[in-house]
Amino acid sequence: MSLRRPPGEYRSPGSRLFDILNVALLLGLALVTVLPLLYVLAASFATESEIASRPFFLWPRRFITSTYEYIFETGTFVRALITTICVTAAGMVIQVLLTFTMAYPLAKRYLPGRALVLNLVIFTIVFSGGLIPTYLVVRDLGLLDTYWALILPLAINPFYLIIVKSFFQELPQTLEEAARIDGCSEFGVFWRIVLPLSKPIIATFSLFYAVAIWNDYMSPLLYIDDTRKWTLQVIVRQLTGADAENALSRLDSVLFPVEGMKFAVVVIATLPILFFYPFLQKHFAKGVLIGSVKE
Amino acid sequence: MNLTSRRLLAGLLAISTATAATACSSGDEPGATNELTMMVPLFGTAPDPAGEMQKAVEKLAGKKLRITWVPNAEYGDKTNVTLASDKLPDLMVVQDQKGPSFVKAAEAGAFWDLTGKLDKYPNLKPRNEQTRLNSSVNGRTFGVYRVRPLLRSAVLLRKDWLDKLGLRPPKTTDDLYEIAKAFTEKDPDGNGKKDTYGLIIPKWPTPVFNSSNPYNAIDVWFGAPNGFGMRGGRLVPEFDTPEFFAANRYIKKMIDEGLVNRDFATLDTGKWNDPFVQGKGGIIIDVNVRATQLYGLLKEKDPDRYTDMLAMTGNLARPDGQKFSLPFTGYNGVLAISKQTIRTDAQLDEVLKVLDRLASKEGAVLLTNGIEGRNFRVEDGYAVHINEDDPAVKTMNNDVDYAFIQLGTTASVGVGGDAYAWKPASKAEQDNLRLRAELEKLDLQTAVHDPTLPYISPALTAKGATLNPIVTDARVKYLAGEITEEQLKAEIKRWYDSGGSQAVTEFQDLIAKGGN
Amino acid sequence: MATDLAPPEVKAVPAPVRRTRMSPRTALLRYRWLYLMVLPGLAYFLVFKYLPMRGLTIAFQDFVPFLGYEGSQWVGLKHFEELFTGPDFGRLLGNTLILAALTIVFAFPAPIVVALLLNELRLGVLKRAVQSLIYIPHFLSWTIVASLTYLLFSVDYGVIAGLVHGVVGGTRVDYVAQAEWFRPVIVLQTLWKSTGWGTIIYLAALAGVNADLYEAARIDGAGRWRQFWHVTLPAIRPTIVVMAILTSGHLLDNSFEQIWLMTNSLNRSVADVFDTYVYYVGITQGGYSYATAVGLFKGVAGVLLIFGCNWLAKRLGQRGLF
Repeated sequence: MSLRRPPGEYRSPGSRLFDILNVALLLGLALVTVLPLLYVLAASFATESEIASRPFFLWPRRFITSTYEYIFETGTFVRALITTICVTAAGMVIQVLLTFTMAYPLAKRYLPGRALVLNLVIFTIVFSGGLIPTYLVVRDLGLLDTYWALILPLAINPFYLIIVKSFFQELPQTLEEAARIDGCSEFGVFWRIVLPLSKPIIATFSLFYAVAIWNDYMSPLLYIDDTRKWTLQVIVRQLTGADAENALSRLDSVLFPVEGMKFAVVVIATLPILFFYPFLQKHFAKGVLIGSVKE
Repeated sequence: MNLTSRRLLAGLLAISTATAATACSSGDEPGATNELTMMVPLFGTAPDPAGEMQKAVEKLAGKKLRITWVPNAEYGDKTNVTLASDKLPDLMVVQDQKGPSFVKAAEAGAFWDLTGKLDKYPNLKPRNEQTRLNSSVNGRTFGVYRVRPLLRSAVLLRKDWLDKLGLRPPKTTDDLYEIAKAFTEKDPDGNGKKDTYGLIIPKWPTPVFNSSNPYNAIDVWFGAPNGFGMRGGRLVPEFDTPEFFAANRYIKKMIDEGLVNRDFATLDTGKWNDPFVQGKGGIIIDVNVRATQLYGLLKEKDPDRYTDMLAMTGNLARPDGQKFSLPFTGYNGVLAISKQTIRTDAQLDEVLKVLDRLASKEGAVLLTNGIEGRNFRVEDGYAVHINEDDPAVKTMNNDVDYAFIQLGTTASVGVGGDAYAWKPASKAEQDNLRLRAELEKLDLQTAVHDPTLPYISPALTAKGATLNPIVTDARVKYLAGEITEEQLKAEIKRWYDSGGSQAVTEFQDLIAKGGN
Repeated sequence: MATDLAPPEVKAVPAPVRRTRMSPRTALLRYRWLYLMVLPGLAYFLVFKYLPMRGLTIAFQDFVPFLGYEGSQWVGLKHFEELFTGPDFGRLLGNTLILAALTIVFAFPAPIVVALLLNELRLGVLKRAVQSLIYIPHFLSWTIVASLTYLLFSVDYGVIAGLVHGVVGGTRVDYVAQAEWFRPVIVLQTLWKSTGWGTIIYLAALAGVNADLYEAARIDGAGRWRQFWHVTLPAIRPTIVVMAILTSGHLLDNSFEQIWLMTNSLNRSVADVFDTYVYYVGITQGGYSYATAVGLFKGVAGVLLIFGCNWLAKRLGQRGLF
């Protein structure tokens, strides 16, 4: 955050010490997270025998790209990647719209019936019908084998809805009031005043939703029979031989480059979504959004 | 936004119509069409429905095939939602065919009872009585089994280590101990350091006791039953016999003397090969097809010497010279036929004829090897890949290995069966293939079959989650030195008391009634 | 509602606050836009969340997928009896609660602390770099995390295990096998995998802090610590409270895959929780009904926890969920 505080208060020895410790701590934290990840990256370029023989390394002795070649060799992977990007983008927009539209009125404490709806929502955080009943609903809606089945059943995460709602409750009411007095409808207030004010929150939940769809492999497996419509995560699991150890290699002995493949696929499946983060961070850096509103 | 709400409205409408539709049971068109729907597990990426392989399989089957390929890892879940959805495919591979959701569906008439119906189809007629029995459910046959070798347990050893120490592959469990000791103490890799050990044991992923792991193999070698067995007219579990304790004292001795990997309680089965290939441990007790994997890995590590690095032998005799061998079930899941879509005997006959064609020699080769002259040719009785640089052939190989092979009932992955085995690169590997066949035949004579396999005990089904881990965990704790033999016996008693006795009684009654 | 406890800006809302009860018709008319905005979301909840809840009835059946809701046999409370009187219940509940307690103590506060520390970091580049690194583990599957754990902590070749052994000496500890190390390892895994990801929500909340408030605090002569205490913390307190209440509903849920991958014969006595047990039941008996019964039990506990925590939050002067 670029809070332009004068440096005075940071010059005290205690403050300095804190800064030094803080930097050290966070750097340590970053190191602890990044080292195993670098191993994953390095291992994805290493041979099977190197992965087996060296306990931990950050650079492979013999650098190979055959795992990646194998993955990209099959056209399925690229197709699944494109499919996933599209489904994720579309799903994210729908989810964010639905969530924010519903959260806004629920933030209005004077709205009659609000408590009932909130209770209904909170209940679904802890109770769910389960795999088969949900499948049957999706089937009855005729959504099987459509991309809608990957988006609609997850359209609103009740957990996120409640958080967005409470963010809305923290927004200063003065601007909304001004807009109302100017003759804006409630929807107008929401669309023209509240949403633009909520950019960091929108960015945050866009990320959350996007990641959820991106990482979801259960929905495509259950709802999509047409293998040409499969998403990245399904392909990923197929290529890594998620259960190769048990069924495949033991009893049915086909030699998969299991370990290296596992790591390569992690790298490929994670990178695209990682590019999303800087956009979000931009909003964090801006920071002072509500500060622009004079209370 | 607008689109979504419209969609939702459409959805709400769809619900009401759907419920109406289910209310009056829609008169589906009978399965007399020239199309067959199937659900089959998939290990790689899915084949193109218009692809070369599918075309070839359809030509042989004489039907158009609509195959739903389901990733193997989630096959169970998908099977259950499919069973729940009232829309069964004509034909489906059932992996957990002893599981309650399939058995109850079959008993409720979801699938054809094929008991006695298969004999008139030359290629579907069960060729092995033991496998037929093992794959049956309380005396009934609900599907065509997908064959696997009935006996495949083996001991795999580092040949270069044996050679260096002047040792020969073991014949008895005593030999195995001596070899493990020598591998640990006599510096078999000659690096001057004491950094090797004998036997590699992994953590078994399932808590089910008799899951054909190395412990089970040693139990059986010592004369304990395989899972369950008759002792003096009474059925007893593997672990309630003196032989079981003899076997475990033997394993514990090896562990205590450091002849086994220290992380035997946690080593991931997926990393089982690693210590062997890296020259840390020298012995693996598992299925013989693991040899193929090991050769592959050893080759990657040491392309010049790998053919001299692996020795294999079959089941071992116990100290008094008597030999017992650990068999497997002989099959891996069944192909079940839906009664919902295949309604009449005539239709059933038609489907079985399709399956019979796929189970013929020609079918086995197609599903296991591919198309002769296109992606392979035959050489010395082996199949050899050809045209491997052609992308279309690459796709074909992928489709065969990770998809269509799952439809085979008379050939199995990596083994051949009615199809051709793939020709290994070296003479040593070819010899190994031949040795597997010999050992299978030889050890089958001393195989100890599990008499409870064809039956389902309601008590074991209902209480399995509690029962299964009791002795499985107690054994490992005993081996790790966390509990004594007395405490292990107490855990066995707890198994009986928690419902084990009931399971034993039920099995005993079923076996007596079955008369098999 | 407790207007006396609400922050000042709520009191400032003028027009719509009406003490007199409105008739439903007046309300509908007056707030038609707001109701219209709730509608699509409400439809979603009814269709995709409440319609499938019919499936909860299978907790009282011996559900067989093929036979469906109608065809399966009703067994009343059988599965609940099995759950509560089964020999494993005490152990499962104990293990689950201990892991829940560890979650509250370690996993819940960690992202808050890290977010606050990040917020105090003045070097923009460093801050961004640290932020983008620590959240990546969220994308790794538990399978990968488990294999990394074995890699680092294995008694034979584990790098960290070896390091610790080198420093501490003594006999080698098998961190991944021994029962007493199971919980610390699980907590470490959770912290590693989810702390960074968890900071995002708090960073978003911190991004919303009004800069003028800092200005005002400074004018009042507040130092860095007091600014933190009087401006930063109050700004994210509502988020913390809401997160705490919502998380409480999931306290009895464990990450099945995480635990299952780390379970072995030596540590099962402390590792078994409801979620893994349900899985074992599933293997042997298909267990949809049993799983649903366990789900219902956990759901009831979750609801009690959520509303209990909400009540407590209000008692403590926080806004809570409503």
